[in-house]
Amino acid sequence: MKWFLNLTTKSKLFIGFGLMIMLMGVMIAMAYVGITSIHSSQEHLYKEDFANATDLLLLRGYENGIRAAQLDMLLVAKRSDQEFWHQDIKERSREIDDVIQKLKDRNKKDTAFLKKVDEMSSVRNLFRQTRDNQVIPLIYAGKNEEAKQLMLRVQLERYHKIRDAAKELGDEALARAQNNVVMASEMESRMIRIFFTIGSVAMLFGIFMVFFLNRIISVPLKEISGLAEKVAAGDLTVKVSSENRMDEVGTLSKTFTKLVENLREINREIKEGASALASSASEILATTTQVASGATETATAVSETTTTVEEVKQTAQVSSQKAKYVSETAQKTAQVSQTGKKSVDDSIEGMNRIREQMESIAESIVKLSEQSQAIGEIIATVNDLAEQSNLLSVNASIEAAKAGEQGKGFAVVAQEVKSLAEQSKQATAQVRNILGDIQKATSAAVLATEQGSKAVEAGVKQSGQAGESIRILADSITEASQAATQISASSQQLLVGMEQITAAMENIKLATEQNVSGTKQTETSAQSLHELGQKLKQLVEQYKV
Amino acid sequence: MADNKPRKIIDWTEVNRRMETARAATEKGWTPAPEEKKKIFKMRAKALSQETRDKETAEEYIEIVEFMLAYEKYGIETSYVREVYPLKELTPLPGTPPFILGIINVRGEILSLIDIKKFFDLPEKGLGDLNKIIILHNEKMEFGILSDVILGVRNILLSELQQSIPTLTGIREEYLKGVTKERVVILDAEKLLSDKAIIVHEEVTM
Repeated sequence: MKWFLNLTTKSKLFIGFGLMIMLMGVMIAMAYVGITSIHSSQEHLYKEDFANATDLLLLRGYENGIRAAQLDMLLVAKRSDQEFWHQDIKERSREIDDVIQKLKDRNKKDTAFLKKVDEMSSVRNLFRQTRDNQVIPLIYAGKNEEAKQLMLRVQLERYHKIRDAAKELGDEALARAQNNVVMASEMESRMIRIFFTIGSVAMLFGIFMVFFLNRIISVPLKEISGLAEKVAAGDLTVKVSSENRMDEVGTLSKTFTKLVENLREINREIKEGASALASSASEILATTTQVASGATETATAVSETTTTVEEVKQTAQVSSQKAKYVSETAQKTAQVSQTGKKSVDDSIEGMNRIREQMESIAESIVKLSEQSQAIGEIIATVNDLAEQSNLLSVNASIEAAKAGEQGKGFAVVAQEVKSLAEQSKQATAQVRNILGDIQKATSAAVLATEQGSKAVEAGVKQSGQAGESIRILADSITEASQAATQISASSQQLLVGMEQITAAMENIKLATEQNVSGTKQTETSAQSLHELGQKLKQLVEQYKV
Repeated sequence: MADNKPRKIIDWTEVNRRMETARAATEKGWTPAPEEKKKIFKMRAKALSQETRDKETAEEYIEIVEFMLAYEKYGIETSYVREVYPLKELTPLPGTPPFILGIINVRGEILSLIDIKKFFDLPEKGLGDLNKIIILHNEKMEFGILSDVILGVRNILLSELQQSIPTLTGIREEYLKGVTKERVVILDAEKLLSDKAIIVHEEVTM
């Protein structure tokens, strides 16, 4: 019993219905066999036994006809009537041939029957030959008597033979048919009995199967469905009476138990989830509110940024123009620096000339200084002379004093000479002073010339440096020009980029606005979610765990 | 150079003009202008008139040669002065007292030279071309004394002469004749010439 329970429902059904079907098949087979045998016996009855009887009856009928026709031929005198009856005889004779042929064909297997038919046929052939070869020509010849003789003797005898044989054969066929009918009816009643028996067995088995399957499939299903109804009503505390079965019902009950457990678990989880959802929804609500305010701020910021970007764009435009301007200016400056370099070269040349002239000036001044020295020597001489004159004047005064009264005039002259010497001395002192000044001046001039020369030297050097500087400057400016060109290009790109940024900012602005509205919607959604969470919580709490 | 000074723009035409005038003046030689001449003449006239006036007032005076000795003015009567002479060709004499500088040759005449600063303890000034010799003489004696600068010959009133000064003592007082108002020390040439200390005896040498 256990193994059957463990079978799958499909197998159970297969087994149950298979048995039923098998029984039905047996019944059908038996019915077929019985009916077929009945049918064959009936066919046999009809096609052979009854056909043979009818054919023999026909044969007898035709023979009778032929006899009657011969008699008619005898009776009529007219040739045409005779011919008509002759024709009739021919036709009937042919028919008889056919019937005999049929009988032969039909009863090939029945040798006894066939022998009797052959006997009858040979008698009939004799009868026909006599008729065709003797009787009918006699009738045509008008020898009716002779014909009558033939007919009433030989022919009649033969005729009776034929008729008896036919009658015998016919009776035999009938008897056989009746026998067959009886056999068929016996078979029928046997078949009915068999059908009844098998049918009863099948019915009983079917009823058993119904009850049995009901007990092993339907009852547990009903139980489970009842539990399912309870579950549907929200009672998750149900327990399935566990029956260790391996079939679908067992699986179902196990699965159902598992389902309920899962449902319990899910319910618990949903409960937790609902709580979490409720709190999360609250948090989301709060966050969304914050996000909404943030989005609004972002929108403002984006607006400001857009403005800034616009400004930056303008600045970039200006810088682009400036860079262009700088590039042009740098080019101009490069030209100017070329000119400047040339000027510096010229100035170096000029400086060199100045240096030469300075040198010649220095030489002149040195010469002048030397001449001043000569003058100084001369002055020293003059001063010496003045000194001597002074002494002379003193001596003259002394001499005059010695001369007494006569020397008085001379004393005056001596005084005069002294005065002149004094003046000479003063003049020479003045000249010396002037000469000193001149010498100081020349020294200063020499110094100045020297310094000038040095300054010129330095100037040449500086000019060279300046030239180098200008060259470097020119290079730098060329680089700057290139850089400015690049800057210009970059600025152009920047401008393009800024335009893109502007477009992007516009998009961002739009997006932010959408964000704001979206956030508001989200806020509403979060509100709904919160409510939903609450509802869900309530719903879950309806379940008994 | 004076870079920080505002650079003067040199007017070359002006410079050329000035150079030209200077050159012209030099070539012409130094002749005073008529105004200058007049001025000189006036001064001279003035000086002459003053002298005459002095002469008129002078009654008792002595004529002195005025000279400088170590920043002080000294005077010696001209009657004792033979002549003044520049210091030339001094030959120092060994074995003589410090006040005797050496001997000199004055037109073939050998004279001894005395430095009277040594007598008066005056600071030394060193010798040079500008030093002059005053040759003193009387009937017995003739020698030169060194002076720094000969100032000239002038007359001094005897009445103005102060005979003695309390600060001057010793040798100074000995050779002193008097001091003028202008603080010119008048030396007594007679005493100098006749002083035995100046005479260097033969026995003394070697």
